[in-house]
Amino acid sequence: MVISQEAFGGGCSTSGDTSDLVFNYDDTDTHANEISELYSYTEQPELALNVRAFEEQMESYNLPPSWQRLSMENQQSVVMKLLNQLEICDKSLRMRAARCILYLAQGCWAEVQSDAEQLEWTKKNVLLLCKFGTFAAFTDLLNIEIENNTAAHVALRKIAVSLADSQDLRVILSVLYTITEIVRNESNSNSVEYKETVESFINDVIYHDGEEILIVKLLGMVTKFCSGAAPHFPMKKVLLLLWKLILICLGGMNALKEMKMEKRVKVGLPAPDEDTIEVVRTMRPSSPPASASDLLEAQNQKRNTRPFRRQILMKQSSLDDHDTLGMELDSSVGENNDEMNDLSEFYDRRVSENNENNEMYNAHFQNRPPTPSPNQSGTIIVPRGLPWKPKVRQKEIDAFLDSSRLKFVGFSLHGDSTTLAGLPMPIHEGVKILREHVYTSLSELQIQKEEEIARNPFSTTEGEIEMTKTEILYQAMFPNLPQYMIALLKILLAAAPTSKAKTDSINIMADILPEEMPMTVLQSMKLGIDVNRHKEIIVKAVSAILLLLLKHFKLNHIYQFEFMSQHLVFANCIPLVLKFFNQNIMAYVGAKNVIPILDFPSCVIGDQPELTVETLEIGDASPYSWRNIFSCINLLRILNKLTKWKHSRIMMLVVFKSAPILKRTLKVRHAMTQLYVLKLLKMQTKYLGRQWRKSNMKTISAIYQKVRHRLNDDWAFGNDLDARPWDFQAEECALRGSVDRFNNRRYSLVSDIDYEPVDNCLSSVLGISFDLSESFTTNYELWLEQEVFSNCVNWDKLLEN
Amino acid sequence: MSKMKMADGATILRRNRPGTKAEDFCRWPDEAYEEMDSTLAVQQCIQQLIRKDPTNIDLILKMPETLDEGVWKYEHLRQFCMELNGLAIRLQEECRPETCNQMTATEQWIFLCAAHKTPKECAAIDYTRHTLDGAACLLNSNKYFPSRVSIKESSVAKLGSVCRRVYRIFSHAYYHHRTIFDEFEIETCLCKRFTQFVTKYNLMSKDNLIVPILGEATIGESEA
Repeated sequence: MVISQEAFGGGCSTSGDTSDLVFNYDDTDTHANEISELYSYTEQPELALNVRAFEEQMESYNLPPSWQRLSMENQQSVVMKLLNQLEICDKSLRMRAARCILYLAQGCWAEVQSDAEQLEWTKKNVLLLCKFGTFAAFTDLLNIEIENNTAAHVALRKIAVSLADSQDLRVILSVLYTITEIVRNESNSNSVEYKETVESFINDVIYHDGEEILIVKLLGMVTKFCSGAAPHFPMKKVLLLLWKLILICLGGMNALKEMKMEKRVKVGLPAPDEDTIEVVRTMRPSSPPASASDLLEAQNQKRNTRPFRRQILMKQSSLDDHDTLGMELDSSVGENNDEMNDLSEFYDRRVSENNENNEMYNAHFQNRPPTPSPNQSGTIIVPRGLPWKPKVRQKEIDAFLDSSRLKFVGFSLHGDSTTLAGLPMPIHEGVKILREHVYTSLSELQIQKEEEIARNPFSTTEGEIEMTKTEILYQAMFPNLPQYMIALLKILLAAAPTSKAKTDSINIMADILPEEMPMTVLQSMKLGIDVNRHKEIIVKAVSAILLLLLKHFKLNHIYQFEFMSQHLVFANCIPLVLKFFNQNIMAYVGAKNVIPILDFPSCVIGDQPELTVETLEIGDASPYSWRNIFSCINLLRILNKLTKWKHSRIMMLVVFKSAPILKRTLKVRHAMTQLYVLKLLKMQTKYLGRQWRKSNMKTISAIYQKVRHRLNDDWAFGNDLDARPWDFQAEECALRGSVDRFNNRRYSLVSDIDYEPVDNCLSSVLGISFDLSESFTTNYELWLEQEVFSNCVNWDKLLEN
Repeated sequence: MSKMKMADGATILRRNRPGTKAEDFCRWPDEAYEEMDSTLAVQQCIQQLIRKDPTNIDLILKMPETLDEGVWKYEHLRQFCMELNGLAIRLQEECRPETCNQMTATEQWIFLCAAHKTPKECAAIDYTRHTLDGAACLLNSNKYFPSRVSIKESSVAKLGSVCRRVYRIFSHAYYHHRTIFDEFEIETCLCKRFTQFVTKYNLMSKDNLIVPILGEATIGESEA
């Protein structure tokens, strides 16, 4: 586990039974875990087949069956011979070579003593394999197996597809995955030594010569599987490989951050000074609103929200200046005077805490011990300054100016965002503050550009489309993107812990269930854990794939992102994710669906303890499931990405009653998870009604503390014009129109008929050949008679008008 | 191909113009590698040595000291593929899809044709054509070989698989069309040169070189 103690302020508080989760969000889990998740426990017996294949091959080469003892020369020779054998017609010979290569990629585990040694040999062998073009050779093998219709037919005719049906595919995918994962690991380590290997690997995967790129091929496998045409495809391995390929080609969080910075600087925008992931690492989780105490609190602190909000908004930059606090509140909201008393307790606590801690906090925030409080649950963790710089959009400044002008001057100046003439000083000040916090996103510029092109299609040129890796991938995915999204969501649905086996239209268990069902209790326990683990890994992979694609498309072009997200929404992604969270989330986060002694490579190295009910849990020290929190955060981020600034979709959150589900998710004591939940709650707060706000004050406070403030945004109570929930259809349609125009212009050959010159040459117009049906051509005389000759047309009428 | 000032001031153009007679084909004086100042110098140098004496393989494969090894391997493989077309043309006379419906050398080695998106079983002559086409495509690909002056290490790695696939044309000819193979080999020594080439630069495993050409007893694939 990657655990960064400092990031959480010198360790987590362990007071009470619900302690903070020390979980560090990252692109992936540790390399070892990512490798072991590739194999299900039911696949374990097959590992022995790999050694046997190796031994047989070595025997045929008259070499000792010991890889480590072979000279470099002999090793190379063996690899070349194996690659030669991969192109043989006889499938059994081909697969034996493939298995043998898998054994090499697995680090020849039968000859090693420890996990570290196995990793070392894996790395060594994979780099050797890479050098001889093994990845390309296995891509070819994968193609053969995808097209292998006999396997599909056999699987289709079976009642229950099992592990055995996907044997060959799993060998091939395992080799591809292992190579990808090792190369990805190398690329992270920043070693110069393998830089070229990594680069050429990425180039081979993403740049294609007219051929389908591997990522698209794998997505094709997913859709084919979901259509039911290939039930034997081992989805877990396909998805894992897909995820890792996208990750290595397009880049993870750090790459995204750098690319965003670069792009912003390129178009002359200031580089972002905050990184969400970084900021959130320094945040501490709030204690969850325990439902009972929450209600009690709500009764005590009645209707105290409004002044608090105003205060925060007015005092953005001077939070430590608390002396004027009361005055501000008094003057700002006169009508709420009666609520002041309820508030005072809260502010007292807040001020004293601040005075105490301010200096200490400023000096050593990192080492600050957690606030020792005996009855911490139920109290609000007090903010020490805002974690985020408040932002405002130009659009909002314009709206503010507009309304002020209407109010003070009596008319509006359309399209003028600078003139302050006639406005009183406080408005000047307000505008000044707003301008200081303006944040222009890349997307806004891209949308502007699109609007300009739409207005002046001839005089505005697109400029050359930069062929970034994301652009290449988008173009490759574009023709079938909707199907890919549906397929990925179908799999997510099938793998969600709340979905019932009966309702599954697809069987994602085909690549885990053995041919013979377990006989003993222990075996069924093992299979039960295995099945759950399998589902969790699938959820992890799908959520990571979706998030990565969304993030990269968004950075590349906002309408690419909108295209994908619209199709996700059409495919019911929002209710699906909510359904996912509508489970006992604490149980999911704390799930222990892992048998450490059966994880690869531990299961094949050294002495194997006998598997008993007791040994099932040996070696599992983690208090939570890394992959499940990772999936949760991914899904929450996806939900945020889909709904941000989209009223129609926010209404979906309301309609599908997401608030109680999300509130329960707050129980996960992890700052990042909570932040994304709070964001989702914030955007719908104003639709949830007074009653909800009243009984959820603690959640609302948490939103104030943790989520970025938008100046002028009346998120909790407002009724701004922008938020008319009834015309969400129109909003979605307008977006769709823009997206379609973008896609048609850039990615389809069909040009807009309106912009084509009109053909008025008689011979060419008459020369156009029409496809007439056979019955028409044989009976056209009848048609002439009935429709033309018998119809009297008074041509003079034309002239009369 | 390249110009050279002769002593008397006349310029020699190393070109085969349309209408050049067979006996005049490529009949121009040799030039030292160091003197060549064209971007195609390496190819010119290799072709010149081959024309001079195709049996002197050691000399042909002797790399000029200043040259990058990747470029040297690349140019040789290009040359092999070009010359293999000669063998392919001869094979066409005899090797037909009806008689040789699989790409095979010895009985247990039947190969898939890797030139397709999904490798498949092609007849021997089709395999030959497809593979030579595929090799030409790869060697001329802008993606892997944008320059003939310097070649990336990662692209050099692609040469191995080309060698492996192209070699099967030799082995098929040897085991199934021996007369054609022998005639061609006596003229060009191509298979011998190829064998020495891949051995020298470790592009193929010795055990896969199943045409006994170097005099020494090649073991061949045992059973596999």
